[in-house]
Order: sequence, then structure tokens, then C-alpha cells
Amino acid sequence: MRQQYGRRSQVLAGALALFAFAIVVQMTRIQNSPEAEIFRQQSEAYAYEYRTFYPNRGEIYDRKGRLLAGEKIIYEIGVDLSIMTDPHAIAFAVSDTLGMDYDGLMDVMQNPPEGLSYIILVDYVDAEQALYLQELKKALNEQAPEGSVGGLTGLQFKPHPQRSYPENALGSNILGFVSREGTGYFGVEEKYDSLLAGNPVTVLVPTDPNKAFEIPNAPDGTTLILTIDRDLQAAAEDILDTALGNYGAQDGLIAIMNPRTGELYAMAVSRRMNLNKFWNYGAVYSNATEFNPVISKSYEPGSVMKVLTMAAALDSGTVTPETTYLDTGSILVGGVTVENWDRNPWGLQDMTGCLQHSLNVCMVTLSTQMGAGKFYDYMDAFGVGHLTGVDLAWEAPGRLKIPGDADWYPVDLGTNAFGQGVAVTPIQMMSAVSAVANHGRMVIPHVLYAMVRDGRQHEVPDQFGATPISEQTAATLNEMLAISLEQESSLALVPGYRVAGKTGTAQIPVDGFYDGSQTNTSFIGWGPVDDPQFMIYVWLERPTTSPWASEIAAPVFSEMAQRTVILLDIPPDSIRQQLALR
Amino acid sequence: MNIPNHLPNVNHLIQAYRVAPWRVQRQWIGNALLIVLALAMVAALYLHVTSRTAIAGREIQDLTDAIATSRQVSSDLQTQLAGLTSAASMESRAREMGYRPVEPDELEYLAVPGYVAQDAVDLSSSAQPQLNVLTISPEYNQSLLDWMDERLVSTRRFQ
Repeated sequence: MRQQYGRRSQVLAGALALFAFAIVVQMTRIQNSPEAEIFRQQSEAYAYEYRTFYPNRGEIYDRKGRLLAGEKIIYEIGVDLSIMTDPHAIAFAVSDTLGMDYDGLMDVMQNPPEGLSYIILVDYVDAEQALYLQELKKALNEQAPEGSVGGLTGLQFKPHPQRSYPENALGSNILGFVSREGTGYFGVEEKYDSLLAGNPVTVLVPTDPNKAFEIPNAPDGTTLILTIDRDLQAAAEDILDTALGNYGAQDGLIAIMNPRTGELYAMAVSRRMNLNKFWNYGAVYSNATEFNPVISKSYEPGSVMKVLTMAAALDSGTVTPETTYLDTGSILVGGVTVENWDRNPWGLQDMTGCLQHSLNVCMVTLSTQMGAGKFYDYMDAFGVGHLTGVDLAWEAPGRLKIPGDADWYPVDLGTNAFGQGVAVTPIQMMSAVSAVANHGRMVIPHVLYAMVRDGRQHEVPDQFGATPISEQTAATLNEMLAISLEQESSLALVPGYRVAGKTGTAQIPVDGFYDGSQTNTSFIGWGPVDDPQFMIYVWLERPTTSPWASEIAAPVFSEMAQRTVILLDIPPDSIRQQLALR
Repeated sequence: MNIPNHLPNVNHLIQAYRVAPWRVQRQWIGNALLIVLALAMVAALYLHVTSRTAIAGREIQDLTDAIATSRQVSSDLQTQLAGLTSAASMESRAREMGYRPVEPDELEYLAVPGYVAQDAVDLSSSAQPQLNVLTISPEYNQSLLDWMDERLVSTRRFQ
């Protein structure tokens, strides 16, 4: 009996073992079947996904640490169709809050693209509006049970950062802007786009939550500190706006730079845009050169160019400050008669008088005495017709015609000497004239003061350009230009501070001919003369109250200089010299 | 085995000391159960470790998201603060309080010995170490199988 039980047990155990073995065999067979391989391949396709981690865009500060460009949170608003209960309520709430089309929203929600369970209704919604909708959703859900008709169940809010400019339009021409796709346009945003944006990191991430993947270290974009002084920029824009109104000028700009280092403190232009509404770009500007005319807009500068002509004449030994000549009021050059601005003869003049009275005939005399070769060599050395290398996008090189060019004529040697027939940008003039204020050596204008990365600040060293004139020439011309302003009792003078500078009134070429009724009025000046710490360039385009720079641009320079010395903490000459003696 | 009849006592003795069949079966069953138990323990341990790893992985991801969110909120607040202290806003507030821009002849310069005016801001800060998986000890991000695999690989490498 016992044996029978034993046998039966053995048979049962054997059957069970056989069954277990069959299961193992079947499992092995299934796992190694061609179908299993297909499934494995399919699962591998979903086992990992590429995920890109975008670093935060670097911020932009002014030289005093005030934020000029940062980031704010905005919202993408969408609907999860799988849990949405009342599209009418959602469409009504969103259209009412954001001013969107109700029917359009209904159409999107009721006819979604196939296979989508989440659809975006609207993006780039301000935090205030998004929070209002969130509160509304919460209130409706509290009143009615979740999922009931009338609630906003399914409405979802996804926050993400967007570039924001707390100063709105202030310094817009310097900063540029960032599109919604994250690309920088114009100014610092375009020039330093790759630095500010940082490097996105793309990694293969396992979808299996059991596998801890490596979190990539995507460092934030580099933070930039500019040489710009926000308060000085605001003052410059304020003074410019007032001047445009007072003098009825069409456009204008004021640029302020340290002539010893090339640091740009401010660049005010008349056309500015609120960078937080960059999509209005087309309404503000008709072409890219208008965004920052300080670096992009070439024009015939007129008599400010005489600084360079005189520098060349002194440096080449053609004249000395004491050299005299008899001004007859006109001179023939290249078959064309050139006259002074007032068409009058000024008699015997030395070189300081020549600058003081801004005599065209004198300048033509100097350039013809130097000869085309020497004159254009100096202009080339001053960088006329070349990019200055300023670290802002969209710099224009200007144009200097030279002998040999198809459109160069002998008369150009004369007219170029007093700033007609040659196109320069204001930044080019500042860079060139900085040689006079900086011991003969030109500076390279720049707006980047330092970069901050990983908590460390790296200051950018000042860079210098060519040395077109000697230190002695620079000192001599510096003094001549200061004296010429003082003797002229110029409106450019700054009480308490000795400044040097030059006006520039230029006729405007229209369709190949100069329009006698309209002028560009400019002034370039710097101070204090014995230790220049600021250089200011003023350009007012087509003023209507007077055509002369001495009456338009010179007083604007003076007003700007008076604000500059206060904001840059530059004491009057007398106090500064007393302090230096201690 | 044939046992001589003249040795009945020996038979009894062998019979007495022979392991009963049910005992042998029980030993087999016991051994099998031991193996099953050991396997179950290893499986349970593995499940425990992997579930903890998964939870830790999720927590790390959540914390990373929280850090990113905090940074965004911080940037947002910083931008809001900058807007409140913008040049236009500060000027407007100053005028409301009765202030006006200073005129050059109203300024008085005082020489303060030893004072050096700061030319520009210094935004450098102490570098903070970035925490990532590479800086976390393997004990906290490695599964048991990963650890065994690593051991095997290293053993093979040194053979």
C-alpha cells in the first residue's frame, strides 16, 4: 500500500517536474524566438530618450551692478484632453482673460491633431494673467466637484523663463534683444550670444526609473558686466530727447567714452524700443543701421574731421601751431573752388585760429601741402574706413575714398580734409580722435567690462589700436583745441572744467548733390584737458532752429559734460589739481 | 545486501541506524526549501535595493527640478526687483519725494583720506561645488547588479 503511494507520488512529482520543465523550455523558446527579438528591439527604442538641458541665459549688468537684462517666468497654457470635461468653460475663461478668440479656442480643443492628448492653447503668457487663471481654476474646482461641468479641469500651466529687460527702452541700442527662440539680435545680445546662452547639454536618459541617470552639469550662460553706467545712459537719453525737441532735429545721438581706456559709458540714440516688446522692431526701425547709429550709421561728419587733418599736418611736420597762412576765403582744388563756411576771408591765421574759426580753406591748404599719399596714409592710420572693433553687432566701416578708386576725384583731397566726401560712424570718429586725448594712441571702444562665470569675475583688459601720431603731437593739438574753444567763448565750455573739442557742421548729400538747407551738426569734445576722463560725441541730424553745430551740438555737449562730471565723480579742475598736489 | 541469518542482532542494529526513507525525503525537501529560501532572500534584497535606488533616482530628479525652479523664481524676483529700482522708477519716486537733480554749483567735493571710490562692481562670489552623480558615492546610485557587474569586470581585468 505504502509502495503504491510512493509510486503515485513519484509519478505525480515526475509529471509536475515535466510540466515545470516544459514551462522553462517554453519560456526559453519564447525569449529566443524571432518575435521576441522584434519586441526587444522595440523596447530598446523606448528604453532611452535624448533629453537636452538648456542652461539659463547669462544676465547683463551695468558697471555699478544694476541689472539690465535678466529672466522672468512666463507660462505656456495648454489643455490635457484626456481629463478635460468642459471645453466651453476653458475657452470662455482663456478668451476672457487673455483676449483670445473663443471660437478659435473651441476649434482647437474639439478638433485636436490626431494622437495628441495635450495641446498648447497659448504661450508666453505673463505671470499675472496665468496666476489669475490658476486662481479661477482653483475657485471653480472648490465650488464644484472635480471633473464636473463648468470647471477648468484639464487646463494646465507650464512655467518657463523668458528674457526680460527691467529698464525697458533704456540703452536698448546697446543691449539688443533675444527672440522667443533664444537667439540674440543686435548689440550685446547678438555679439555675445554664444557666451550668454551657454552650452546646452544633450544626454541619453533611460526611461526606466530604476536606472539613475547622470544629471548633466549644464552651467548657466556667462553673466556680463558692461562698461555702461545706467544713470549716465539715462541722463544722456534725457538730454538728447530734450535737445531734439528744442532744436527740432530729426534724429540724434550722444555717445560717451573714456578716451584713455575705450570704455563706453553711454550711447543714447533717438530711436529706442522697449526691449520687452521686441516684436515692435519693424514699427520703430526701417533698417538695421537705425538700431544703433553710433556704430552703424555712416555720415559725412563735417568739421570734426579737421581734428584729424590738423593732427596729420602737425605730426608730419607740415605745419606747427605757430605756422601762419593768409586766408582769402576760397581755394581751388581739383578744379573746384572751395570756400569757408561763411564764404568770407579770415586774413592771416595761425593753426589755432584755423581750428577756432573752422576754416575750410585752411584745411584744404594743409591736405594739399601734405599731398594725397601722406594725407590718406594718416586717415588710414586713424582707422577711417575701417571697423573699430567695438564689441557690438552691426558695426559699419564707413567709407574713405582713396586715389585709385573709381569714384575718387582730386577735389576729394580738399573736401575730405574738412569732413565732406568721406563717410564715418560716430564711434569711428571717437576712436580716431581718442589718439589726441590719449598720448597719440587710439583706443578700441568696448562695452564689456567683465565676465562672471562659476562665481568668478574675469575683467576684460582694455585694448588699444594704432598710434597714428606722436605723444608730442597729441599734447600740442590737445592744447590747441582747448584754446580754440576758450578763445571762441564756445557754448561747449564747461564751467570749472577745461575741455577740448571741435564742432562739425556738414551739408547732407541728397541724390548726389548737397542739400544747402539741411545739415548734420556734430561736436566731439573731451575733458579735463590735462587728464581726459570722458569724451562726448554729439550728432543732431537736420536741426531746424539753426544749421550750425556751434549753436546746436556745442551746448548739448556742455550740458552732457556737466552731468557726466557729476555722475562720474570728477571734481572741478581746481579741486582735482589741489588734491594732486597733496 | 545479504545479511546472514546468524546475525539477526546485526540486522536489527543496521535497521535501527539506517536513515528512514521519509527522513531522506525530508532532508531533500529541507535542502530544496533552503535553496528556495536563499533565492527568495536574494530576490527580496535585490528588490529592496533596486526599489530604493529607483526612489532615490526619482528624488534626485525631483530635487534637480526643484533647484531649476528655485533658480527661475530667483531670477524672476531679481528681475522684478530691478524693475522696481530701474532708473525711470527711481527718478519718479525721487521726484515724488521732492528731490531734483543736483546742479554743478551745488556740489561740494570733500577729500577723504584713504577713500578709494569703487570704479565698477565686483560680482564674484565663492565658487559653490556643483553636485552631480559623479560626486555622489556609488553606494547611492549603483544597483546590486551594477555592483556585481563592476566587480566581475574588475576581476576579469586583473586576471
